[in-house]
Amino acid sequence: MQELDDYINKVKSLPPAPRILPELLSLLRKDDIDADRVVKLIAFDPGITAAVLRLCNSAYFAGASPASDLQEAVTRLGFRQVYQLVAAVSGSKMLGPAQKGYGIDAGELWEHSVVSAVASQLIARNCGEDESLAFTATLLHDIGKIVLVEALEHIYTDLVENSQSEQTPLIETEKRLLGVQHAEIGGRLLARWNFPENIVNAVWFHHQPSGAQAHQRLASFVYLGNMVAYFMGYGFGHHAFALRGRTEALDILNLKPECLPEYMIKTFEQLQMVKSLVNVNS
Amino acid sequence: MPAPSLTGFNQKVIVGIAEMAVSNNQNVTLTTYSLGSCLGIAVYDPVVKAGGLLHIMLPDSTIDSVKASKQPSMFVDTGVPALFRAAYQLRAEKHRMIISVAGGAQIMDSGGFFNIGSRNYDALCKLFAEHGLKIQAEQVGGLVNRTMHLNLATGEVRLKISGQPQETILCKNSTTT
Repeated sequence: MQELDDYINKVKSLPPAPRILPELLSLLRKDDIDADRVVKLIAFDPGITAAVLRLCNSAYFAGASPASDLQEAVTRLGFRQVYQLVAAVSGSKMLGPAQKGYGIDAGELWEHSVVSAVASQLIARNCGEDESLAFTATLLHDIGKIVLVEALEHIYTDLVENSQSEQTPLIETEKRLLGVQHAEIGGRLLARWNFPENIVNAVWFHHQPSGAQAHQRLASFVYLGNMVAYFMGYGFGHHAFALRGRTEALDILNLKPECLPEYMIKTFEQLQMVKSLVNVNS
Repeated sequence: MPAPSLTGFNQKVIVGIAEMAVSNNQNVTLTTYSLGSCLGIAVYDPVVKAGGLLHIMLPDSTIDSVKASKQPSMFVDTGVPALFRAAYQLRAEKHRMIISVAGGAQIMDSGGFFNIGSRNYDALCKLFAEHGLKIQAEQVGGLVNRTMHLNLATGEVRLKISGQPQETILCKNSTTT
């Protein structure tokens, strides 16, 4: 744990914690959602408020007349949709920049995260489970990369050579070269940011869902959402496909491999929405 | 009277996922980004200088026949015939067609449960074999995400691999001078 914290503490430009996200998620999980509290929580952050309103009035989401305040946006779009927008606004700031140490250009990690999250949400919905939770965990699954990227930048040539000659998954190469890997760093970072245990565990074990124990279903949604994004071309960086196939993710959810092409098609149908979430801050 | 063709500046036409485009405009470069496990299939007839690019996502239209009727370019078995038909409209001929293929990346999966990339490629090879077509140049499989460009003036096909700075030439159309 200390090693993970050391890496996190070393990062020069760590983004501020997305404070309202875990709180909003817990409000959303109650049967009787308190609309006033949701609006108050979002209104606390003027940047997010403006982005939610802008998106609510964008071509994809807009109704007949523009929403002029948060209350109206929440009423019109519904809690889940507003939550998704808030998550996207917070996520794009953190995951938008280029991650040179991974060979990832500006915007690519964010695009990967959104497509993964949308795919994961669709799978969770079909399995009858909390789709906002799956969306959030998957949206943030690679957050550890923003911590490790600085360290990797110095040894990028080693990383590339290593993964090329050994044909090992990125996560194992990270572990060998740095002593830590991005999934556990991401889990630890989210724990420090007060995200709930289920999200922390799902991110921590997103390359090995059975390790998440009580939260292995959520980790499996993250794993499969991530896969769908890769298959569809939304996975970037050097040796982007250096990942291990884990059938446990299918077994845990009682899904067959044939469902993967179907979820690719379902995700493809959501690409218009993906686009508006990807461009949430521009 | 035919419309005057635009000359003197280069145009980049983007082919999206599950889309295709054909052209005989010498100023055009067809580009399809980030193939992942999808396949990019470029065809080019050097005599009439016409060609096309297809970005298929899945091997077989039986996965979703409704989707296939709306978006034939999503699947190998419906997309490839559509690409050839469109190229024939530009007077390209089958026996002159130079075929390049890229994409079909694969994660490390010995069990083959996540093998969308290789299934796409197998379906394509089977279809080509049935029609007596040969792939001239290919870079398929592996762990990388590729972007593909087809230059319609030269027939040259270039690849850009995510994480690598420079482009590489996949097919330098040897019949042009």
